[in-house]
Amino acid sequence: MKSVCIVNGSLRGKKASSLQFLKDLSLRLPDAEYSKTFLTVKAKVKENYPEDMLSSLARADAIVFVFPLHNYGLPGALMRLLEDYHKYLRTGREYKKGTKVYVIVNCAFPRPGETTGEAVRVIRNFCRRLSLDWRFAVCIGTGPVVVATKGIPFLYPRLKKAYAEIASDVRGGDSERRSDYLIKPVIPESIIAMIKRHYERTGQMIEKNTTPEQA
Amino acid sequence: MNTLLVLDKDSKTKLSEDLKAKLVRTLEEKGHRVEVFELGKNDVSPCLGCLLCLTKHPGECVNKDIVNEIRKNVKKYSATFYLTPVLFGHSSSTMANVMNRGTGSHHWQVIIGFGEDIDDEERSTFIDLTVKHHGKADIVHPGMDNQVDAFVSRSMEDNRMICEALRTSAG
Repeated sequence: MKSVCIVNGSLRGKKASSLQFLKDLSLRLPDAEYSKTFLTVKAKVKENYPEDMLSSLARADAIVFVFPLHNYGLPGALMRLLEDYHKYLRTGREYKKGTKVYVIVNCAFPRPGETTGEAVRVIRNFCRRLSLDWRFAVCIGTGPVVVATKGIPFLYPRLKKAYAEIASDVRGGDSERRSDYLIKPVIPESIIAMIKRHYERTGQMIEKNTTPEQA
Repeated sequence: MNTLLVLDKDSKTKLSEDLKAKLVRTLEEKGHRVEVFELGKNDVSPCLGCLLCLTKHPGECVNKDIVNEIRKNVKKYSATFYLTPVLFGHSSSTMANVMNRGTGSHHWQVIIGFGEDIDDEERSTFIDLTVKHHGKADIVHPGMDNQVDAFVSRSMEDNRMICEALRTSAG
């Protein structure tokens, strides 16, 4: 049985698009075949991320980072997790070299190919530094729109294929390089811009009264 | 000319202290009044990604910490300088939390990464991450920032060269 550590890099709680993508991926990783651990980044960390979180990353056969793009890079809370993990390993802790690493990144812009590349490169650098096995990224444009429309049949076959490929790649043994998946929303950009304006204006991006302590 | 300098106090090294000293000297020689904020992990909350600072209450973050105070006064600065350690080609979490929350001057931002063991790919990632999409190249929030520059220092000599380059543009 393969152990998979799935990291939710969003602080937006139940409203996070990343959480929806994480759940969809999890459905493709049945409990009978995969031992799954779910980690969520924290807004407040006392000294470092707790050791049980860091050891879950160290023990995993595969790690999937699911996160929203922040300023074209990683959310600060996820970057903190990577820093703490790096520091944890530098103290000589055992970890699995060759752990397979995947990224599911969603951005607010409809063309993920133009915005997500550098964040993916950061994770690739992380893999290179720690001798982990970088596999591929799934880059999703306008995450909230994809979440809102993903239930409509036949809309996102490439996204479903990407989830299936993560599942088979974790299970499989080949080391062939895979290409990244770029998922664009099916709705025209002009309509997305209108939805985005409404969405932002009405403040629906976060659960009301969420503070860092509650997130 | 009011200039803001923000740096990561948890990641001070000889290299970063040398950079800070040279940078402050260069800016002051050019007539800047430099206000320095040294912030650590416990001072700064991360961006929640709610965008309420852009929509419901522009300029004000839901996190009421020092970064929110900096952001409220952002208009008084004609330039913002960030000094950040570079890990995997990314700024430190503390500095990412500061930058992601809109603390940069809309006129001119300079982001300087430092670290003696930054390799070429990390250097290139950092430069692309901080410059490729910002300033005039920003397609998601066009027109938000005027000019964004980035540098990476791996040595004291790099510090000297960066300050020399800035001496021309800081006037």
